[in-house]
Amino acid sequence: MFNRRSLLAGATALGGTSLLPSLAHAKGIVTAATYPGSWEDAYRSVVAPALKKAYDVDLELQPLFAVDQIAKVRAARGAPPFDAFVLDPGPRITGIEGGLFEKFDGRKISNAPNLPAGMIDEWGICVGAQVVGIGYNPKKLPKPTGWKDLLSDPWVSRLGITGFQTTFGTVSLIEIAKAFGGSETNVEPALVELKKVLPKIAAVGNPAAMPGLLQQGQCDITYTNIQTVAILKSRGVDIEFVKPASGAVAFFTTMHIAKGAAEADNAYKYFDTVVSKAVGDALVQPPHNFIPVNKQVVLPPSLPMTNLDEMSTYIQHDWSKINPLRAGWIEKFNKEMAK
Amino acid sequence: MNKLAEWQLTLPLALAFAAIFLAPLLMLVGVSFFSDDKITQPGFAQWVKFYGDPFSYKVIADTMLLGVKTVCATILVGYPLALVYLDAPPRLQKVLIFVIVMPLLLSVVVRTFAWIVVLGREGVVNQLLLSLGIISEPLRLLQTELGLVISLTQIEMPLMLLPLISVMSRLDPNLRDASAALGASRWRTLFTVIVPLSMPGLVAGCLLVFASSTTAFISQTVIGGVRLIYLPLLIWQQSLVVFNWPFAAVVSIALLISVLTVVSALSWLGRRSGGYVHG
Amino acid sequence: MGRRHSLGDLSYGLVIGTLAALALLIIVAPVVIVLSTSFTEGRSLKFPPTGFSLQWYEALFDPSKSRQIHRAVLNSLEVAAWSTAFGVLFGSLAALGLARSRNRLARVADGFFMSPLVLPGLTFGLAALMYFTLIGFRPSLNLIIAGHMIVTVPFILRTTAASLSQLDPALNDSSQSLGASWLYTLRRVTLPLIAPGIFAGAFLAFMASIDNVPVSLFLSTARTDMLPIRMWGMMESTLDPRIAAVSGVLITAAFLLMLVMEWTVGLTRRMRE
Repeated sequence: MFNRRSLLAGATALGGTSLLPSLAHAKGIVTAATYPGSWEDAYRSVVAPALKKAYDVDLELQPLFAVDQIAKVRAARGAPPFDAFVLDPGPRITGIEGGLFEKFDGRKISNAPNLPAGMIDEWGICVGAQVVGIGYNPKKLPKPTGWKDLLSDPWVSRLGITGFQTTFGTVSLIEIAKAFGGSETNVEPALVELKKVLPKIAAVGNPAAMPGLLQQGQCDITYTNIQTVAILKSRGVDIEFVKPASGAVAFFTTMHIAKGAAEADNAYKYFDTVVSKAVGDALVQPPHNFIPVNKQVVLPPSLPMTNLDEMSTYIQHDWSKINPLRAGWIEKFNKEMAK
Repeated sequence: MNKLAEWQLTLPLALAFAAIFLAPLLMLVGVSFFSDDKITQPGFAQWVKFYGDPFSYKVIADTMLLGVKTVCATILVGYPLALVYLDAPPRLQKVLIFVIVMPLLLSVVVRTFAWIVVLGREGVVNQLLLSLGIISEPLRLLQTELGLVISLTQIEMPLMLLPLISVMSRLDPNLRDASAALGASRWRTLFTVIVPLSMPGLVAGCLLVFASSTTAFISQTVIGGVRLIYLPLLIWQQSLVVFNWPFAAVVSIALLISVLTVVSALSWLGRRSGGYVHG
Repeated sequence: MGRRHSLGDLSYGLVIGTLAALALLIIVAPVVIVLSTSFTEGRSLKFPPTGFSLQWYEALFDPSKSRQIHRAVLNSLEVAAWSTAFGVLFGSLAALGLARSRNRLARVADGFFMSPLVLPGLTFGLAALMYFTLIGFRPSLNLIIAGHMIVTVPFILRTTAASLSQLDPALNDSSQSLGASWLYTLRRVTLPLIAPGIFAGAFLAFMASIDNVPVSLFLSTARTDMLPIRMWGMMESTLDPRIAAVSGVLITAAFLLMLVMEWTVGLTRRMRE
């Protein structure tokens, strides 16, 4: 039944469809990495049409987490598979140190005057903010007030924690450490306190699994991004966001041009579109729930801030100090949490 | 056709492997001999770091044990299912094959969700046991090794059963009848006739199950949780979170060598039993 | 048979039956859960599901809502088909070549061919990307096919080798001593006997390719979106019930395929008789 003829026939039939390249016909093209899921959906439905309309540039999106973007560009030394990065602060520092970005020319961003100060530097541009705090199920737990509550009853026995591999995990663990006398560079107290209550903790999870764990009641409280909470809530999951008493943490998501990018000029057009008022107005609405950086965008009441200047009152961390310590923290977390 | 020519049949695959697999693998080995994460300073620092840490040995041992436990669990429930398949009428056999391959049709992404539902604190198993009054407090199943092994058993079942069944279905049914006619009990027939004759399939299944369960990163971290630490988690952290590729390479090589050692031992056993069958 | 069932035979039936039932339960439970959640009326993946509706299947088939998923499905199917085709060709040839060699080189080669299964996918993905860019290739669908072929061919090799090892060597020799050419023997004697093994391996390889995350992650480009990577995004950020519907579609497709095969194979058998 497996003779050469049928195999060859099958092979030719399949081959016909695949080996022809399908090139786009727009004036220009830019390939941008984007986070999988809600980011990609939003960028495909809002940013891509806006970019096409304003500059006749086609946007090709490649869904990749920040760490995967860095890994791919590092591995492809000098021949990046995409033109533009989107990164959290930790991977951003890794990228700068690894020489993975082109120098950034802020003059090419026409919307620059509408951005708060400091949003553009020599390496890239901030395109959005993220707020980290506590997400909990109000039907099962009383409202927590601060980071310390996470480690005491009744919350601790319903707590789900994640490690230092994500930005929100890292900043939350730092804040927990601070509540117990630690600091931005000393997370030891958090690990000590977590270790004490470890048998009670409901889940020590892979960040990718947290929404599922929350939805199915394996854990009912965790630290997370406000955007994740908003999206899950809009999907009918019982979850509320709480700003801890000591303050919520904020960090910026930045975009960069990959070293050796084929379409650097179109990448600037893409960034300019992303930070434009029209795109910001659309992204701030459900189901996207982004926090844009353009000052002209009116923030909806669901966000814990009324204008972007309040961002300065949020806790921010210095990732150039955190990054060198992170590898050690990850190993420490492994050993402390391992049975 | 003479022996030499028969051996040449491996050449296409060997060439493909040399070009697409061996070369990257050698690069990986090369990378492991750099001391810094920028891959500029040659040295053995990463090897010393990994093998100088007692924690590493614990993780290697845990990973291999996970593979062994999964193989045992898969044989324990999978082999009887293969026996049932063997005795079933042809129409039922078709249905069984369909059921057996079903786990492969669930993407790993939803499969992990399903196991959260089954094993979770408010999950199906706990609800059932609670309502029957067998337990008064929910059992902790998710994020335990037991839960992980159960969930791995599901996805590994096709890997065990397909080779096993493809071998078993070629067994001469007369052999079993002869054994029964000679007065052997069904247990005796199983262990003296069926198991030895199905050995090639069983060994092939064990190899696939062992290799695949020890490297099943997503199941290990989502269902097992991060309290259970296996080598793939270390590799993931080192290569994608802290970008220390030399260290990730050392850990990968450790995983590769440990698993290949077990696999060759199994292979050797399989060859011996194969010889026994034909001998 | 006139012989009375002994206690041993009863216990055999009981033990084997119970364990097999347990196996079926373990296999089926997650499938039932996923399928039932795919019919939810709710807006997220949740068990037990609320209500019954086909809205997520409608959304999945709607080209305007799910264009990216369709593209990813096509890419994944194409990659899986090609990599399995090459895998079957190279893998079964290699299994034939190795089957009767008992020397050390053959054993080393066998272990070598198994090692992609053992090397973590993430490591191979990264190393392959480094290597391919070094020799001047840019990520493309063809590279993904090559990568998938490497990581899935061990399935084909292993199951084919298992079938071959129980093949009676005398059969081959007698066929050839009767004057049949090697190729004729292969086609008429060997292949029909090892076909179940090849099929089993090809199926495992095909599904492993469809579900492969790490190799695709590193070798894909913006245009070669793959299904499991898309599903990760849908699961992690939004618990999108369409990912359950994808499984529903896959299971239905496999069921239909089986019916069709049953029908055609049954037909050819009848024609031959």
